Amino acid sequence: MISFEHVAKRYPGGMQALSDVTFHVNAGELVFITGHSGAGKSTLLKLIALLERPSRGQVLFDGRNVGKLARRQIPYLRRRIGVIFQDHRLLSDKRVFDNVALPLLIAGLPFAEIQRRVRAALDKVGLLDKEKLYPPMLSGGEQQRVGIARAIIGRPPVVLADEPTGNLDPALSAEIMNYFLRLNEAGVTVLIASHDLELIRSLRRRVLVLSRGEIIDDLPARARVDAPEGQPPEQPGQGALW
Amino acid sequence: MVSARSPVSGRETAGGTAALRAWSRRHAFSLLSSLGTIARHPLASLMTFGVLAFALALPLALHVTLTNVERLGQQWERLDTLSVFLHPGLETPEVDRLVSRLSAWPQVLAVDPVSPDQGLAELSLQLGLSDAGGLLADNPLPWVLEVTPAPGFQREALLARLHEEDGVSSVVVDLQWLERLDAMAEVLSRLVNLLAVLLALGVAVIIGNTIRLDIQNRSEEIEVMALVGATPAFIRRPFLYTGLWYGLIGGILAWLLVTAALLALDEPFRNLSRTYAETAGLLHPGREVLALVVGGSGLFGLIGSWLVVGQHLRRIDP
Repeated sequence: MISFEHVAKRYPGGMQALSDVTFHVNAGELVFITGHSGAGKSTLLKLIALLERPSRGQVLFDGRNVGKLARRQIPYLRRRIGVIFQDHRLLSDKRVFDNVALPLLIAGLPFAEIQRRVRAALDKVGLLDKEKLYPPMLSGGEQQRVGIARAIIGRPPVVLADEPTGNLDPALSAEIMNYFLRLNEAGVTVLIASHDLELIRSLRRRVLVLSRGEIIDDLPARARVDAPEGQPPEQPGQGALW
Repeated sequence: MVSARSPVSGRETAGGTAALRAWSRRHAFSLLSSLGTIARHPLASLMTFGVLAFALALPLALHVTLTNVERLGQQWERLDTLSVFLHPGLETPEVDRLVSRLSAWPQVLAVDPVSPDQGLAELSLQLGLSDAGGLLADNPLPWVLEVTPAPGFQREALLARLHEEDGVSSVVVDLQWLERLDAMAEVLSRLVNLLAVLLALGVAVIIGNTIRLDIQNRSEEIEVMALVGATPAFIRRPFLYTGLWYGLIGGILAWLLVTAALLALDEPFRNLSRTYAETAGLLHPGREVLALVVGGSGLFGLIGSWLVVGQHLRRIDP
């Protein structure tokens, strides 16, 4: 479904976010991407949704090189990818309902169907009673769930989440992760960038470990991911980082 | 979660009517969204409408002034008479025959003969003399025919034909002030055209600038829309509609302003025309002029917003 082949990304100004990344994700997989801040997790996700273009190498989505996609094709690629941001990226002057409905409005669906699907999505994330509120009236966890509803409303085959549990307490984090697990069970390919090691460990899914723009470990699903012995922490004092 | 029918994923490959319906729904969304933008900031919108209305009312008012002046000129031209001086010593029966002949011409509306005695009486009245005739041994004045031309004929042809008549000595036309009026109308007409061009560009700039501020306020929204897969056309459309509304409503307001001004001027103008034995009121702008003002203003609003949105979208493109 998603392949990176020797991908490098250097931002204007010289910041080398990714230096040489190669991996492959099959359809229906749920993969965690972890590593310390600045390791390149966000950049990696941005390259898939073409929020950034790679400086070198190829990013393949569904067998197509997204780096070579014509500009006018980009919106259609993005409609096949649901993206969830740590800062939610919700429109604060639009109601929860309209925020979630946005991808369907863009697709030009009939209003009755938009209403039905938005209600279903909000119900799924437990926010049906908040549809008339504005995002700033909601808690961080609720806003994140609105973001999830918006990402999945278009039924994309792939969902990307950048630190979806960033500022949430453990109970809320587990709840959010639970949405992603259910999404994955329904056949959606899910990539989650996170440094919530405790949570990742408990879920026993495949984990890609990034460090300084390279993949230094690729732990398969269902393996015990208790901190591997041979891997020294990247930054002592900040806890184990695989 | 992943249904067989998934309209959002993939390209829009739905059948013809379904695609058309989706297209019209997207347009309806953009249209409502653009109206919402105007309604959400009523004060800012009103000020923009006001600026546009005043800018457009100026050339429209000038145009209306011009058409009214031109019509007045035509009316005065018709009232103006030619003075046909006959050879001195022409007898009354000959004059009468000439008068009846000239009256039959289609170019001539009326012929009013002035006898030498009448002419002398008028002259002495104008000069302030009690009896000019008494000072002169003989009345030196010839017969004069005051000829009123019929409207719609060439004045020059009539003049030539009058000169060819037997007994006609000379024809005096005092048309200089009318020629001046025509020349002034010509200058005014150029001015109207120039102002129309300048203010059409002004409309594009004013609306472009308003849209630019609107885009800056909504740059976050634009980015989010792009993130969830909105095409540049979809992002651009609400702004284009907003530009179109600004132009159309500005044009309509300009029309209302000019109409209000005409209504206010109508009464004094009628009083003025009555002194010229005319009863017509002021001319209002014609339908095609209004269509040009409102439609042109809408078009230039569209152009202004198109330029600004296109430039902005290129800047935020990844």
